Amino acid sequence: MTAATAPAGIDSSAVSERVEPRLVGVIALKVLREAVRDRWFWLYCAGFALLAAGITTLALPDTEVVGTGGFGRTAASLVALVQLVVTLMALTLGARSLAGERESGTLRFLLSHPVSRTEVLLGTYLGLGGALLAAVAAGFGVAGLVSSFRSAVVDVGILLKIAGASWLMALVMLGIGMLVSVVVRRTGAAMGAALLIWLGLVFLGDLGIMGTVAATNLPAETLFAVAVANPIEAFRLTAIVSLEGSLDALGPAGTYAVDSFGNSIGWLTLGVLFAWAVAPMVLAWLLFRRKKDL
Amino acid sequence: MTRLVAASGALAFALSLAPSAAADQAPVDLQRLIDEAEPGEVITLDADTYEGGVVIDKVLTLRGEGWPVVDGRGNGHVIEITAPDVTVEGLVIRGSGDALDKEHAGVSGDAARIRVIGNRFEDVLFGIFLRRGDGSEIKDNVIGSKDLFIARRGDGIRLWESHSSTIENNVVDSGRDSVFWFCDDLIVRNNRVSNGRYGLHFMYTDGSLIEGNVTDGNSVGTFLMYSKGLTVTNNVFSENRGPSGYGLGLKDVDGAEATGNRFLGNRVGVFFDNSPSERDVVQHFESNVFAFNDIGALFQPSVEGNLFSENAFIDNGEQVATDGRGDLEGNEWSVDGRGNYWSDFAGYDADGNGLGDIPYEIEDVFSDLTDSYPDLMFFQGTPAARAVDMAGRAFPDLKPEPKLSDDAPLVEMPGFPAAPTAEAAASNWPVAVVSLALLGFAGGFIWLAGRRPGSGTDSKVLPA
Repeated sequence: MTAATAPAGIDSSAVSERVEPRLVGVIALKVLREAVRDRWFWLYCAGFALLAAGITTLALPDTEVVGTGGFGRTAASLVALVQLVVTLMALTLGARSLAGERESGTLRFLLSHPVSRTEVLLGTYLGLGGALLAAVAAGFGVAGLVSSFRSAVVDVGILLKIAGASWLMALVMLGIGMLVSVVVRRTGAAMGAALLIWLGLVFLGDLGIMGTVAATNLPAETLFAVAVANPIEAFRLTAIVSLEGSLDALGPAGTYAVDSFGNSIGWLTLGVLFAWAVAPMVLAWLLFRRKKDL
Repeated sequence: MTRLVAASGALAFALSLAPSAAADQAPVDLQRLIDEAEPGEVITLDADTYEGGVVIDKVLTLRGEGWPVVDGRGNGHVIEITAPDVTVEGLVIRGSGDALDKEHAGVSGDAARIRVIGNRFEDVLFGIFLRRGDGSEIKDNVIGSKDLFIARRGDGIRLWESHSSTIENNVVDSGRDSVFWFCDDLIVRNNRVSNGRYGLHFMYTDGSLIEGNVTDGNSVGTFLMYSKGLTVTNNVFSENRGPSGYGLGLKDVDGAEATGNRFLGNRVGVFFDNSPSERDVVQHFESNVFAFNDIGALFQPSVEGNLFSENAFIDNGEQVATDGRGDLEGNEWSVDGRGNYWSDFAGYDADGNGLGDIPYEIEDVFSDLTDSYPDLMFFQGTPAARAVDMAGRAFPDLKPEPKLSDDAPLVEMPGFPAAPTAEAAASNWPVAVVSLALLGFAGGFIWLAGRRPGSGTDSKVLPA
């Protein structure tokens, strides 16, 4: 029955532009199914959830004595955890996706069916994005549950906002990972590239700015502009804005951001995240569509 | 005075023309009641609405039963007191003017021994403003504010030249500040001040007692300035997170004794600016809890003479920091061989005497960097900042001189009574429900996705 809806030809280049939602859904489901059966996925999920639970437990030691405080610090630690773990998970998940399929030959097999490359790319993105959504929801669910046992006052709205921002950042990293996966042929090389990118975005970028500030007295506005271009920083700032309502706590550069952008600062950082979520995927699509050897 | 009566008489006439429920009964003229009362009399008001803008110029007690409303209708002071020994009690005081330069207030007094007891203030610019009110009592009031931009609001409570007054059990919400200046020997006890700019602000208030108050959600919780011999005990300073965001700030304060206070989740728990200001003065901070603040205690670099012992520093972003480059050598971190509890103390207690066998030292590379380059505060708490600190621990060459050294750190947290705000945390079910929903969603999602494909169309399209 489906064969009737698909064009008769098997030449994939002829159908590379086509996007049929139902086929995208089918591929997404297949990718999702494979993802959640993968032991790496469970390892990441378990690691994230356990660390989230640990942070929440440790950060809220004795609520009898300290009363209702503590959620702000817990949330800040959760944000740092997401910056480390969720980014790595999403990057490697993306990097392994198409490269792995190509290496094992399943990509060619898949494309020998009447599906377009666009549909495969989109379906893979959605399927892995779904897996990441489940992972983020599980991690924040565990953190929230633990903190409710610790009787700390947790703002549910803020918890959900930070979880949502975490997923958005996971999608950004997934897109970057998939771009790597399109460009790099071997899974091992793709994983290595993903790790380098992770190191660069999480550590080296910030460390480089720190060094530059120390060496050259970089103005606060330049510091902010360079920092916010990093999607992982944009995510952190989004989380801080939803937690605090401003960036006052971040010293001169934060004050500059508040003075310049006022209440729209949260939209600015969200905009950066959205741009990062779209741009690498568009690039990946352009490259994947025209790629000769699969 | 006759002019005033005539004026309110005319207003009363105008009101009686209005086709309202009050029309069948002429409204009571409160000013006339006051004018006709003998000095020392008690005027009891029943539940009704009375015209505000009244002046009390003799010894008098104005007492409400069943929450009568005195409404200023947005003009001037609602109740103005010009004579000593006046008591205002049990009223709803509403609708002052909103001119900051005229300091329009719910109760505005300029006389000694004024008692403002158990009133509710609504839609007032200033709540209670007393001048030259020695020996006054402000107790059990609930004070709201006008819905204005915060700098345009008035102060919940403001006292000037009102020595030996007592401010007790009041709840002040969303005012601008509560200010006490040129008032010695105050007792400020068990008040709650929330969502304002400066919660409690003391200037030139020697010998005052500040006890059991809660200042939360303000820009700055409590600020002490230019005062000697203050006692600060058992207060809670929490979630004060404005741009300065001090739980407690001290500027030019000499001889403050702070015990049993809780500094929770503020931007800065306590801030020392030139306090003590005199060389031979020392101040004790003992048995306080500093938890979850971005910075537990922040010092101007030149500050010395503060003694810290038996305090608990729990999971502050920075436990103790200097505002600018410098160390904390001039302050003591243990007294009589007893130091403080530090949640990040990584030492041991082999001899079991309850004290760490190695000193607790603050020598973080990152906070040392932010002292030199404040711009780097931007990266506080990031994985990169944590990596810098880890590098400092791994390579001792990178370590700066310790900023602080506690030679006798406590290995167990000292016992503290339960926080007064702990009961508020009792109902936490929305978080539990949402968390369970998140977990359920994740579990269900994975379970549904991970099922073996059945005989649906999927498997026919793509035989995986």
